[in-house]
Amino acid sequence: MSSTINDPGPAVETTGLTKRFGSRAAIDSVDLQVPRGSAFGFLGPNGAGKTTMIRMLLGLTHASAGTMSVLGHPVPSERSEALARVGAIVEEPRFHPQLTGRENLRIVAAARGPETRERIAGALRRVGLSERADEKVKKYSLGMRQRLGVARCLLADPLLLILDEPTNGLDPGGIQEFREMIRAMVEQEGRTVFISSHLLDEVEKICDHAAIVDRGKILMQGAIAELAEGSAHHELIVGVDDPVRALDVLAASDSVLQAQRSDEGLRVVLGEVPGASDAESAAAVNAALVGAGLAVSRLEPVRQSLEKRFLEVTSRLSDSTTEEVLS
Amino acid sequence: MTGADILKLRKKRGILAWSLVLALAPILIYFVVAVIQHASNPSQHGPAGGVQNFSDGMRVIALFFGPLAALLIGVEAGTGDASAGVFRDLVVTGRSRLALFATRVPAALAVTVAMMLCAYALLLIGTFAFASGLPTPSGTLILNGLGFTLLSTGILCVVGVGFASLTASKPAAIIAVIAWHIVASPILASIKSLGSSREVLLSQALAHFSPVHVGEGGHGATVVLSTGTAVLVLLAWAAVFLALGAWRTSTMDA
Repeated sequence: MSSTINDPGPAVETTGLTKRFGSRAAIDSVDLQVPRGSAFGFLGPNGAGKTTMIRMLLGLTHASAGTMSVLGHPVPSERSEALARVGAIVEEPRFHPQLTGRENLRIVAAARGPETRERIAGALRRVGLSERADEKVKKYSLGMRQRLGVARCLLADPLLLILDEPTNGLDPGGIQEFREMIRAMVEQEGRTVFISSHLLDEVEKICDHAAIVDRGKILMQGAIAELAEGSAHHELIVGVDDPVRALDVLAASDSVLQAQRSDEGLRVVLGEVPGASDAESAAAVNAALVGAGLAVSRLEPVRQSLEKRFLEVTSRLSDSTTEEVLS
Repeated sequence: MTGADILKLRKKRGILAWSLVLALAPILIYFVVAVIQHASNPSQHGPAGGVQNFSDGMRVIALFFGPLAALLIGVEAGTGDASAGVFRDLVVTGRSRLALFATRVPAALAVTVAMMLCAYALLLIGTFAFASGLPTPSGTLILNGLGFTLLSTGILCVVGVGFASLTASKPAAIIAVIAWHIVASPILASIKSLGSSREVLLSQALAHFSPVHVGEGGHGATVVLSTGTAVLVLLAWAAVFLALGAWRTSTMDA
């Protein structure tokens, strides 16, 4: 039975998925859920296991243990059904260099089935390659090959696109176009896009859900906003007329864990007060300052970036931090 | 899908050009040399056409240069997707790997047959054009010769597809098959102490079907073997290499 956009359940689901090369686990007991109709970022530093994960999902290499399903079909037992509506670029997009862009798409269309051939022109138009489709691919830039790779994915009329480092080689304009195209696929067409990347900023701009992977393990997964906030303490930038006295006032506040002067004003780290939300803690800070007769000109939450969170949880910062998060 | 594989081969200009050179150039050179010799010394060298020159020319394309051309095409068909890095992109279409492998064979055979028909046509043109009153080959001999040429090159093409898919390496596949078929096989066939074990040699099974004399044994083979054995040997060679190529294509990490 073929999948549709409205099918329930995650687009990708893995349980205890493991891939070993000898004694080394490239993917170590990964439980992953990719919600349908979302742009999902699979974030991790180089060598974290991102491409290995994608290769297993696509049946390019066998899993050592665990189970996985793609669009509701178990892989590898129903691999053909699972991949019928999946488009994928694994690592850099490769083509027969002696063939034109259009001919390369014809090759893939032949493998997918005769009805696919009718989608070639539309796919080329969508990625902006119609005018150069009859040039040999060996004359294409890396950016053009990336776009042709996306066109190749579109031949499947995909419910799920799996893109491995898709913005590599794209110029800023191309990245912007790509971003808009992905968002349109998700928001207007209801497709699911799984993007593997080490570019945090890119994932933050394109995706609404993400998982952070390092050393073959999923460290966190969820909505981007939740991931960025994570368990880190919330911070405020506070502007007051007398910073020195304000620090004394804040030091006595139960809502404040730490406060210090910065170029922007006072940087206040909110403490965890039982039963109080972040907004209530911020209001308590404001009330304490105003109550002490200080003029508050600014009270601004510090937006937690995914990058900061990423560095906190991956091994790039320190092993101890990683262990803390894992525990 | 076979059409797509033919397209890939057709657009691989370098391989196609070299295969054409291997298939056509020796025949062309053969006739040019024979014509010049005949023109310069008619008493010593007969006309370039006729049955005898047809037989010599057929040996050139069916037993030596034709198989080389077919091997190049077969090896390209067997490794083209992997060497271009697109095999994984074909796998992720969901198409079975066996189907991806299976389409390589008819595509390679189609290109090989087209090329050999050109070479054979050139041989016939030379045979008749330069006959100068010598007897020309009969229709039966022409058809048998064509069948033998296509059989000989087709088998090498199939072995090339299978072996190249197994090794995933063009140089390794080309060198190994040439070394075996062109160099080692004739040597082994000539070692009489090996006895009937020489019947498993592909070159001997092929030579059995030659309509012109190519060796000491019956039907042109160095080793005498029955038609049934020859057919079995040919089928076994094709089946074994196709099975190995299919196995490797099905199990390799893409």
